[in-house]
Amino acid sequence: MKGLKAMEDNEFDSVLRRHLKNLPEGAELPQDAPLKKFGLDSMQAVELLFDLEDELGVVLPDEMMTGDTFATAESLRKAVGTAVDEPAVGTS
Amino acid sequence: MTTTQTRPDQREIGDRVESVLPVLRDHARQVDADASFPTAPLKALRDSGLMGLLVPVAHGGLGGGLDDLVRVAAELSGECLSTGMIWAMHCQQVAALVGHGSPELQADLLPRLAAGEVYVASVTSEKVKGGHLLSAHAPLRREDGKVHLDRDAPIVTGGSDADGFLITMKDSESAQPAEVSLVYADREQLTVRHAEGFSWDPMGMRGTHSGPLHLSGTVAESAIVGGAGGFRDVALRTFVPVGHIAWASCWLGAARGALRAVLELVRSPAGRKQFNLESDLLRARLARVRLDLDTTAALIAQVVRDTSLAPDPEAPDVQLRLNGLKVHAAERSFAVVDTLVEVAGLRHGYLRDAPLPLERLFRDLRSSSLNYANDRLLGANGALVLVDRGVGLAL
Repeated sequence: MKGLKAMEDNEFDSVLRRHLKNLPEGAELPQDAPLKKFGLDSMQAVELLFDLEDELGVVLPDEMMTGDTFATAESLRKAVGTAVDEPAVGTS
Repeated sequence: MTTTQTRPDQREIGDRVESVLPVLRDHARQVDADASFPTAPLKALRDSGLMGLLVPVAHGGLGGGLDDLVRVAAELSGECLSTGMIWAMHCQQVAALVGHGSPELQADLLPRLAAGEVYVASVTSEKVKGGHLLSAHAPLRREDGKVHLDRDAPIVTGGSDADGFLITMKDSESAQPAEVSLVYADREQLTVRHAEGFSWDPMGMRGTHSGPLHLSGTVAESAIVGGAGGFRDVALRTFVPVGHIAWASCWLGAARGALRAVLELVRSPAGRKQFNLESDLLRARLARVRLDLDTTAALIAQVVRDTSLAPDPEAPDVQLRLNGLKVHAAERSFAVVDTLVEVAGLRHGYLRDAPLPLERLFRDLRSSSLNYANDRLLGANGALVLVDRGVGLAL
């Protein structure tokens, strides 16, 4: 299957919104709007990544830690969807 | 030593390294457990062409420079520090042969080095002087245009597997101990006697199988590298800088390997349940560890530049950085692994059979300050600081 399941999609939205401090509660998040506009800087992006990995049980490869991945909700959803398709194997 | 020749293809070197890493990985634990020489990893290195990394292309080698040595040593040592160190010390010998060997010796030896046929061990220590590099006591004797050597070597890394030896000797019976000649000899040219009853059971670096040898034999005058009594120049221009760069790169690579392993663990789904990545303490520790790796890498790069470009290898600021590199890399790489043991905890960091090799690396890297003692280098640097009143930093 490709991308996020519906349930994962809801989790993705809720985790993402937690990290967008400039997005008022209940306000719509346009999928193509720059996340920077809503207060996501590069440090915040790391915290967001960890939250997403924890909640969705995925590991994003380091190569995905780019500005492009975290540019918009759409680009990030796509990247996380790829990671869901190909889960990384842990060492432990 | 210069790096003016055309740079070799980085991808090609990378492919060769990739081909040997699995062999090092598969043998690292056993080599450590048995304290045995890493024969299979060395065989893979011989087959890979990497034993001739520093041999010029004209002699069949890869034509690599010091920056290539740094990267390959670090990658190999990230899998098995013992094997990385054995390879890097071989490259130190090759650098001396390439930079200072006579045309006759080079024509005969360099193609064999490039083909991986000859693994060269270093014989510089003597019982009487300990590890003082620039003096020797056992003399060369010349007869009928040939050079005879006869010498005890209290400790030779890889002595049982080496195909050739680079040996420091006093240039003649009547020479001063500081008149040192560096002599190359194939194993076949020598009678190599292994001391009886010697056991090798160290804390770490257990694959760098070392022991006492007695060497005697006869070579041509052209086997003297850097000319009669010329070792001091070989040492200052090549042997010491390449040695410090090689060691530092191995230690740095091992410490980087430890950080890579810990990051894989803490970022894995299972690790995420055990480690709180939001912990300020964890983050501060990881930041320190990374900073130690970055500063060591930066100092290596500077010493590579000094070695390639500095007009006077004895200039105080050049010597300070060269000695300082060895001290800094030894201290910080060990500190990195020590901190990572703290981060990983008892289960992942302390158990010998944990999937992470932290326990082995901790023992391995404990040797780094002793291997040409930091205390001695700091003493030398302390004196040099006093005569460099301008404090010539590499800015």
